[in-house]
Amino acid sequence: MALLEIRHLDITFLDKKKPQKIVEDLHLTIEAGDMIGLVGESGSGKTMSALAVAGLLRQKNVQISGEILLDGKNLLTCSPQELRQLQGSEISMIFQEPMTSLNPTRTIGWQVEESLRLHTNLTPEERKARAMEALHDVELSDAERIYHAYPHALSGGQRQRVMIAAAMICRPKLLLADEPTTALDVTVQKQMIALLQKMNQTYGTAVLFISHDLALVRSLCSKMVVLQQGRAVEAGDAEEIFTSPRQLYTKELLAAVPKFERQPCQRLQTDAPTVLQVSDLCAYYPKESKRLFQKKEQKEVLHNITFSIKKGEIIGLVGESGCGKSTLARSILGLHRDYIGEIRHCTEHPQIVFQDAGSSLNPAKTVDWILQEPLRNCTQLTPGQRKDCVTEMLWLVKLDESLRSRYPWQLSGGQRQRVCIAASLMLHPEFLIADEPVSALDVTVQKQILALMQEIVRETGVSILLISHDLRVVYQMCDRVLVMKDGSIVEAGAAEEIYQDPQHDYTKKLLESAGY
Amino acid sequence: MKRQSTTFWIGAVLAGMVLLFLLVGCFWTPYDPEAMNASMKLAGVSSAHPMGCDAFGRDVLSRVMDGGRSTLLVAGGTVLLGAGLGIVIGAITGYFGGLADTILMRIVDALLAFPSVLLALVVVALLGTGEMNVILSLGIAFAPSFARVVRGEFLRSRYLGYVQAARLAGASHFRILFVHILPNIRSVLISALLIGFNNAVLSEAALSYLGIGVQPPQASLGSMLADAQTYLFTEPLLCIFPGAVLILLVLGFGLMGDGLRTGRK
Repeated sequence: MALLEIRHLDITFLDKKKPQKIVEDLHLTIEAGDMIGLVGESGSGKTMSALAVAGLLRQKNVQISGEILLDGKNLLTCSPQELRQLQGSEISMIFQEPMTSLNPTRTIGWQVEESLRLHTNLTPEERKARAMEALHDVELSDAERIYHAYPHALSGGQRQRVMIAAAMICRPKLLLADEPTTALDVTVQKQMIALLQKMNQTYGTAVLFISHDLALVRSLCSKMVVLQQGRAVEAGDAEEIFTSPRQLYTKELLAAVPKFERQPCQRLQTDAPTVLQVSDLCAYYPKESKRLFQKKEQKEVLHNITFSIKKGEIIGLVGESGCGKSTLARSILGLHRDYIGEIRHCTEHPQIVFQDAGSSLNPAKTVDWILQEPLRNCTQLTPGQRKDCVTEMLWLVKLDESLRSRYPWQLSGGQRQRVCIAASLMLHPEFLIADEPVSALDVTVQKQILALMQEIVRETGVSILLISHDLRVVYQMCDRVLVMKDGSIVEAGAAEEIYQDPQHDYTKKLLESAGY
Repeated sequence: MKRQSTTFWIGAVLAGMVLLFLLVGCFWTPYDPEAMNASMKLAGVSSAHPMGCDAFGRDVLSRVMDGGRSTLLVAGGTVLLGAGLGIVIGAITGYFGGLADTILMRIVDALLAFPSVLLALVVVALLGTGEMNVILSLGIAFAPSFARVVRGEFLRSRYLGYVQAARLAGASHFRILFVHILPNIRSVLISALLIGFNNAVLSEAALSYLGIGVQPPQASLGSMLADAQTYLFTEPLLCIFPGAVLILLVLGFGLMGDGLRTGRK
């Protein structure tokens, strides 16, 4: 008998206006010890299916029909008490956001032990021993300190390890992993994958791995299911689906995954004028003063950064989170003023495209208003002329004229990012900074936005500083690459050279983690 | 527009009815609210006087309508003044932070430590009684609570992407504060206004009850309650009618504010 069997699973949200089908007729079988990937774009119902299995969707406005059998027992019809018995001991789950999935007011040890407290009769000493063992298991060095620490003292990777330790402590038969690596840096991502594999092999725990990252699923899972708008469009052997996808949707999804490919000939004119020159830049943040009248100390977060951007160039800036990428961007934009060194650009209003298009558009204003705002502030154009500029810009970013009067929340993620790009181009800047512009988007949308950015560079001659953690995206897009670590640029050069022949150990490590 | 909850609509109907009743009182009352008639002293409910007459033979219905009007005027003025001051203080402290924040918020803390009626008493003692002075004193007393709410919202908004984008789009600080951020906190502000309005109605009634609000012979719900207290056991209806209007008004606005708050998840 299979460990988990999902038959005819339908999930419907009973909205007041009309019911919304989130998942439709889903079939899925997981054998003990299997690793199965569940892939699809956002909104395809991946997470909802997992939540239904975990029993976290029992609400009055959600209707679930079909069968979810765990060891032959239907999870949809068992009592809440029975379900609680299984949660944590037989099924457990880890989430995408390690920052918010731990309770900030409890110690790590307390949280890791929680399942034991609920499901076993161990003494506190035995529980602690088990928790320490679990922390060692997830390869956390210094487990004793972490046991007594609070979540805020740990890094993202450490928190996700703690989550895995807490989820695995009762040795569940099934682990639901909902995008567990999406919020992490590439090097950490790789370690996390290895850890899940280890858990799977050592304890025989079956893993349902939910991800939008197809390459990751391929490296980890033996079988996979592709979801599109709540329906499973393709299922079977992972390798087979990758090499010979049958459905159009799967093919599109695979084609959109950024690869280490680029058009060999890109415009690298050495005589183009320089639009940005950064020399010997050191930026500081104030350290938190411990006593009231202590003199404020400063922490240097950027050390001697020097680089320049020429007209029409796309430069990639790669590095892990916390390495100072964003501080560099903020300094160039003039949002962070505590620096020494020189930043010279020939643009009056340098612009940025943020990662999260949702929060960078004013929710109370229409697209038209948002796009007109820079013109209203910095030019003397009449309302009529401003309207014309907006029309032109909408055409450039390939947005329909009818979206003008929409509010940001009425747009899709891709449309929002297009509006952000349009807003940043309204004043025709010489260069703009794109801070992880596609990280929050689905692969298919990602591909369109990247293509759009390349086209805009060709048409308007704008230069872009592209900040990204995705080395594939950078390779596809950029002429030159800067690699940043702990506030310094450790390697810089033409993209081809750096990818073919990395000099610095850190660059090699990054490329290796990304599977280059 | 989002659909509002049932609670909101019940409140809106209640408050709407009372407001309509008081609005009519601005233009027309059955009798002159200040005309005394010795023969009708403490006359009970009758068809000519639906709410009876008070100790001076004045028509209670007319006085409730007229007194409600001044209560409403004072409460409305108080909320506008308090919210206006509070929004400016909250916006500046929340958005800029730093020294201005420390100084202004300490003053706000100090003001919050006083009961608002006590604070109003001091101002009235300095400036004298009258509707305008009551509005001024209560308005200052109410500003700190608005400032707190608004400050929190601005503090949260100031690091959001759209505010940074607005800065890069060349918007001035003034423009960012009142054109970019303010419209986004309107839902919080509306709840705060409704709750503030309620407190203002009650505070005005309390001041008039203490005899330092609206001065006789002009009517006010609070002073009517104070006058009726003398006859509480012989003529209980005298305090029930102004009290009921006060309760309906406060309940209506309270439900509206509650409905808005719970409706917004």
